[in-house]
Amino acid sequence: MAALRTDSGWRPAAGARFFCTAGRGLEPFLMREVRARLAATQVEYISGKVFFTTCSDLNMLKKLKSAERLFLLIKKQFPLNVSSVSKGKIFNEMQRLVNDDPESWLSAISIWKNLLELDAKEDKLSQRDANPLKRKVEENDIINPKKLKTKQMQELQESRECQLEKQTDEATVEQGDFLTNREKSQEAFQNDAVKAVAAPNQKDLTFRVSCRCSGFVAKTFTAQIFIHLNDIYSVVGIPVFRVPLASRAYIKTAGLRSTIAWAMASLAEIKAGAFVLDPMCGLGTILLEAAKEWPDVYYVGADVSDSQLLGACDNLKAAGLQDKIELLKVSVIELPLPSESVDIIISDIPFGKKFKLGKDIKNILQEMERVLCVGGTIVLLLSEDHHRRLQDCERGGIPWNSKGSHTDEPGIEKCLNPGEKTDLSDTVSSSAETSGQGDLDKMPPFGSLVPVDRYRVSLGRTGAFICRYRKSPSSAASRLAAVSRFQSSQGSCTALKAVVSGSR
Amino acid sequence: MKLLTHNLPSSHVQGVGPRGFPLHLQATEVRINPMEFNPDFLACMIPKVEWAVLLEAADTLHLVEVPKGLTEGYDHDEKFLRQMHHVLLEEDVLEGTLQCPESGHLFPISRRIPNMLLSDEETET
Repeated sequence: MAALRTDSGWRPAAGARFFCTAGRGLEPFLMREVRARLAATQVEYISGKVFFTTCSDLNMLKKLKSAERLFLLIKKQFPLNVSSVSKGKIFNEMQRLVNDDPESWLSAISIWKNLLELDAKEDKLSQRDANPLKRKVEENDIINPKKLKTKQMQELQESRECQLEKQTDEATVEQGDFLTNREKSQEAFQNDAVKAVAAPNQKDLTFRVSCRCSGFVAKTFTAQIFIHLNDIYSVVGIPVFRVPLASRAYIKTAGLRSTIAWAMASLAEIKAGAFVLDPMCGLGTILLEAAKEWPDVYYVGADVSDSQLLGACDNLKAAGLQDKIELLKVSVIELPLPSESVDIIISDIPFGKKFKLGKDIKNILQEMERVLCVGGTIVLLLSEDHHRRLQDCERGGIPWNSKGSHTDEPGIEKCLNPGEKTDLSDTVSSSAETSGQGDLDKMPPFGSLVPVDRYRVSLGRTGAFICRYRKSPSSAASRLAAVSRFQSSQGSCTALKAVVSGSR
Repeated sequence: MKLLTHNLPSSHVQGVGPRGFPLHLQATEVRINPMEFNPDFLACMIPKVEWAVLLEAADTLHLVEVPKGLTEGYDHDEKFLRQMHHVLLEEDVLEGTLQCPESGHLFPISRRIPNMLLSDEETET
């Protein structure tokens, strides 16, 4: 197979196809990142996964910051035809999924081995022809009917999605179980009978049934196969790394999820020589992610809590970034900084009861606005409550379009066109709201902060919004200009629901 | 706390709240932190420097070889840049104080971190 061996590792010359999982809401960031970082082509977002083709080597792949996990694609095809709830038919379909086209397995495994630079002399795999593989795979399909039946019925009734891990072994005859597994549940999998009969000279690749093996058991297998079957597709892949990309080697104690921290930093348009402040830095996750990606920048983190600052200190040391990021013990509502001295502010506004809604969030934004340079950028992570509260504040001030009023729309729409080439600036959510009437001179506390865009993201159990603002020169005319710029950037968004209704 | 951090808050003061600037630095423990020389980064930072404050702070730390100000073509003057690199980024105050010139209030610097909270309220999160 055509390949390039460079200093940083093997690269597939013609490009290999991968897919990534990503936290909900981060898909546009990931799509942009694979294009920018990996020069990826054929980038598609389908049902929670981003598929792409790239020639990058392992080191570049490892740098992906907004993905959860990365997989090498073995095959992606139409969803299983489950026109009837017939166990037999479904099993046949699954068998076909696995057995058909052994070439795709062989070629993917070969790419995978090369990427990871596994023992090159073990090239027996690529020399095997397709048929023995097919036969052995069929022998391996020993299905435990009873177990499967109950699970299968449950799965079909509850959801069409199931995560299936299959063991394949080209070198030995083994017994394996076909099992279905509820996608996010920990307990559904009950494989009690993986009998690995190891052939004496087995050196070839083996794949284990992924079932939370740990310790010595896990180490006897080289890797796992990942299968995801849902209504949109059937996808089979090999995880490229053992550890999810989202789990960073350089972060000792995670605060905010690293993927979200990086996504926020990527929105902030950080340039060399900028002064970047996180006035509620906590454990410093955002600054760490930013400093790793954009090193020639002056970073300052601030917090009121000793324990958080200590944790941040630790994190900085562990990442080797203690010289790149300065820490201050100061309060975000009284920043010891002159007005208009900071280029960029990125912050995760703390959720929860500690921050009283209303008064505090306004004061915080007010102070941030004061220290920010004109033209500077603020990127905030807001809980749903904070976000709603800010919308209430905004109603008192800048109208979101020049006509002056909107229909109140519940919630925020995130505009995303799956499968299309998406530029980040097209992915704009809009919130149409009732504007406070009339007076542009009645300035809300953050009057010159113009909203640019916002993205709804998932934090696991809760949701949140990444919101970007820019500080415009404070005059009514330029505010209006900024508002109409914001509007025209939303024009192409098909999910836009800003409705102008009448006057007043 | 680096001298760059001490300096930036003091630059182009514009009626900042209850605090006065510049905060007078006193250091009881200083460490030298070697850092990678990055002339492009310095070229961005140097124009923002408030020189009077920098010189006073450098004097307090008994630093020698401190440039007195910007000279023509400073951004190509490697000696100048390296000196600024050292003064701004490599002198690290581990322990010391910052004094407000108006109120006389002393803000402590401890373990490299200056505590500039005005009120005594510390919220543990």
